[in-house]
Amino acid sequence: MSNHPALRAYGISKAYGGMQALRDVSLSLRSGEVVAVLGPSGSGKSTLMRCLTRLTEPDSGEIFVGARALHGARGQDLRNVRRDIGVVFQQFNLIRRRSALENVLAGRLKDAPLWRVATSHFSSQDLERAHEALAAVGLAAQCHQRADTLSGGQQQRVAIARALAQDSKVLLADEPVASLDPDTAHAVLALMANLAASKGLAVLCTLHQPQMAQAYANRVLTMKNGQLTHEGQRVPSM
Amino acid sequence: MLALRWAASSRSRDGVTLNAHTNMPAAPTRSAVARLTFCLALLAGVAFYVACLVIADISLAKLWEGLPRLASWAARAWPPDFSEFPVLAWRAAETVAMATVGVTFGAIIAAPVCLLAARNTTPSPWLQQPARWLLNVLRGIDSFVFALIFVAAVGLGPFAGVLGIAVHSAGSIAKLWSEAIETAEPGPREAATMSGAGQLKVFLYAMLPDVMPQLASILLYLWEFNVRSSTVLGIVGAGGIGQELKNSMDLLQFDRLFAILLIILAMVTVIDTLSAWLRRRLL
Repeated sequence: MSNHPALRAYGISKAYGGMQALRDVSLSLRSGEVVAVLGPSGSGKSTLMRCLTRLTEPDSGEIFVGARALHGARGQDLRNVRRDIGVVFQQFNLIRRRSALENVLAGRLKDAPLWRVATSHFSSQDLERAHEALAAVGLAAQCHQRADTLSGGQQQRVAIARALAQDSKVLLADEPVASLDPDTAHAVLALMANLAASKGLAVLCTLHQPQMAQAYANRVLTMKNGQLTHEGQRVPSM
Repeated sequence: MLALRWAASSRSRDGVTLNAHTNMPAAPTRSAVARLTFCLALLAGVAFYVACLVIADISLAKLWEGLPRLASWAARAWPPDFSEFPVLAWRAAETVAMATVGVTFGAIIAAPVCLLAARNTTPSPWLQQPARWLLNVLRGIDSFVFALIFVAAVGLGPFAGVLGIAVHSAGSIAKLWSEAIETAEPGPREAATMSGAGQLKVFLYAMLPDVMPQLASILLYLWEFNVRSSTVLGIVGAGGIGQELKNSMDLLQFDRLFAILLIILAMVTVIDTLSAWLRRRLL
């Protein structure tokens, strides 16, 4: 295992028009740990998650995934680094008309030949990885069910399986449980914590409920007005 | 009314529905300006329409004079003359074939262009604008005009019609397709992008399945539309039933003309019904 942290970010800033959404945010994430980001809505949590993937381009700052720089990477380099980041979104972002298995296979697109992608005819290794990933999130039985017929909790677990099938080192989860009922939310967070421990994933997860962060995170960051205001083992007393 | 207009304009500005708190009546100065603008726009609209009536040379007197002629033709059209039915049916089949092949060729041209023209799939804004201009040119020139040019280039017959339909439809298909692609949710695309896949793979795997029913529906609509519109292509010698229509008109064979119109009507009704049924199944 490399001695680099799984994810490092230095001085990330982002402004939308005149509004400073992120100010000089730095953080570091080790393999196997779950870090929660807490903060009121509008505090910049989602912008931070988008900037860490460069789905939104930060105005400044440096991001490293393992030893590799994500900032400034273009083309093939960018795709290589992104492959190491799995993402889970509040709205799951599954391809509605595809099955759970096909959605998980979306994590294998990078190395699959174009004709296999176009015909959804994946290699047996890719299929095996996808089935494993679905089994790891407890959805082996639903593999051929269409994504838009799955429950919210199941959809989010498919999204996590997609990140697993991608063999990512880092899992970024932006409000992964905000659209789920409390029991399902706990199950999804427990699953992510479990995968962090068992597979050495580094998990960064934004949440808005302190109890949940307390229950599942090894470390808690809090954000306010686009800045990190607290970093520690525990949720700061409110 | 005033509150409605205000709400509508605010919504278009920030893209969200107003809540009860902000949905207040407009300030008086603003409403006066809005009303004046509305009146001026209405006035300009009326003036434009009157100008159109004058330019289009609308004359009820001429219609009145022409009516007896129309009536005598109508009388001579009955009963319809189906004696050449096999020929006419073949020509109708030619029209359907031209529209079908023309639209598929158009779709093949449209597929890459619509990816360049859609905001969310274009590789660069520098390609998006030229792609849109190209589509507007293709759409702006009717397949009738293209067919006229292709008849000169490849000779009389349905092939010229196919090319005319293909080139014009490519513009329409690509424009409608790119608009459908732009309505695709960004989420699945972003998730697939994070797998490290390139843009084409992301489109094919994560976007295409969700917009496919819309794309197919658009294609069916254009097929149906082209069956209807390509009945006239024969007039410029580009094949199909229009050719027979023109012959009958030139020879003042109104009973044969009536038979042709009935065949066109039957053909269009069948195609429209089939296309509508298929599109309902898709969406």
